[in-house]
Amino acid sequence: IVVSKMNKDAQMRAAINQKLIETGERERLKELLRAKLIECGWKDQLKAHCKEVIKEKGLEHVTVDDLVAEITPKGRALVPDSVKKELLQRIRTFLAQHASL
Amino acid sequence: MPELSSGQRVGRESGRFLRCCGLTTTPPSPCVQPCCRPLCYEQSERRLHKSLQMKMEEMSLSGLDNSKLEAIAQEIYADLVEDSCLGFCFEVHRAVKCGYFFLDDTDPDSMKDFEIVDQPGLDIFGQVFNQWKSKECVCPNCSRSIAASRFAPHLEKCLGMGRNSSRIANRRIANSNNMNKSESDQEDNDDINDNDWSYGSEKKAKKRKSDKNPNSPRRSKSLKHKNGELSNSDPFKYNNSTGISYETLGPEELRSLLTTQCGVISEHTKKMCTRSLRCPQHTDEQRRTVRIYFLGPSAVLPEVESSLDNDSFDMTDSQALISRLQWDGSSDLSPSDSGSSKTSENQGWGLGTNSSESRKTKKKKSHLSLVGTASGLGSNKKKKPKPPAPPTPSIYDDIN
Repeated sequence: IVVSKMNKDAQMRAAINQKLIETGERERLKELLRAKLIECGWKDQLKAHCKEVIKEKGLEHVTVDDLVAEITPKGRALVPDSVKKELLQRIRTFLAQHASL
Repeated sequence: MPELSSGQRVGRESGRFLRCCGLTTTPPSPCVQPCCRPLCYEQSERRLHKSLQMKMEEMSLSGLDNSKLEAIAQEIYADLVEDSCLGFCFEVHRAVKCGYFFLDDTDPDSMKDFEIVDQPGLDIFGQVFNQWKSKECVCPNCSRSIAASRFAPHLEKCLGMGRNSSRIANRRIANSNNMNKSESDQEDNDDINDNDWSYGSEKKAKKRKSDKNPNSPRRSKSLKHKNGELSNSDPFKYNNSTGISYETLGPEELRSLLTTQCGVISEHTKKMCTRSLRCPQHTDEQRRTVRIYFLGPSAVLPEVESSLDNDSFDMTDSQALISRLQWDGSSDLSPSDSGSSKTSENQGWGLGTNSSESRKTKKKKSHLSLVGTASGLGSNKKKKPKPPAPPTPSIYDDIN
């Protein structure tokens, strides 16, 4: 029953995600996030961090996995609060509109 | 957990067991709660199903719970951020592998050269604020030492080549011309000088007044044909530019303009000069030419009247002139205007003639009044050395 409970949750999430994609809201949110991150300088900060990492590792030996492992946590941490708040707000609005499944 | 022969396991820990159709696995539990009632497998299946359905309903209802929604929102947000980071990683990796990742960097030497300066008294480029203010330059023209910030204006005046300096020079010429003219006029008119003191001052006063106040009632009386258009001439006088484009003027406006203003067309701007009839920049000849050009050969010039100011001025000639003026004026009028303005003009001229006739005895004074009223069209009191007033056509011949 616990499994089914999880299933239900997962099903719900899946349904919501599906709705997000169908209505195009996910794309819009992605674009919005990208624009905001560039505006606030997140991209430049992360680029500088990348440069350091790559200089350390050596230009030739960079792999995608290395980069992902190094950069993703830093990236998540560097997102400014205002951007996070705005995006969450938009998501909540979307959920409120489309909550009836 | 007791296993049934069918291999299905029951999940509850409290010892629920199935018993169906005689199949028993474990002894009944000591607990006699309804939850521990032994159930048949099918029955329990049905039970499960029902509870699941209930749970499902609860699920959708609780899905509307704020906490659940919040959790979902957070997850979605985290997904989006992860996507962005991943996208960024791919971009960087591609840039590294294609070799353009470090292209936008400056080399360290240049970085040092162009580093932002942060010292007091300097700007970010390292320049001193008013370094050149206190420096002095030597003018190549006058060999004086001038402050750097004043050097450009000084050079403009020194060489006489700037916009300002030409303006000043023109003004100076105009002023000196005016002074010269006023002096020469006095010398030329010996007759006037010989006259009574009252006459001379009257003339001067009149001259000044008409110079100062072109729109005085005295002038307007004699300019009856311009009555409706006095307001028109004002914008011309207060025009910012020094000239008027004659193409836009109608014949009536043109005539009124030419009787009050110089009107000579400048070659550079193709505009008419708006200065007084005695404007020193243009000669009477030019003015005459312009009037003949616009108003025809029979056009009467204001100077004609003033030139008749001169010493030997015949009364009969003036009257003939006035009648000519009357006739000329009416001929230039448009049909619509002719009615009203003709009458008014006649009146105006009539007044002029009357007043002049009344003073027939005093020759000089009469032609003065003629100057004041009949030729009050123009404030032009320019005195030119002229032969004794010949009939008007011949004046034209002389000049032309």
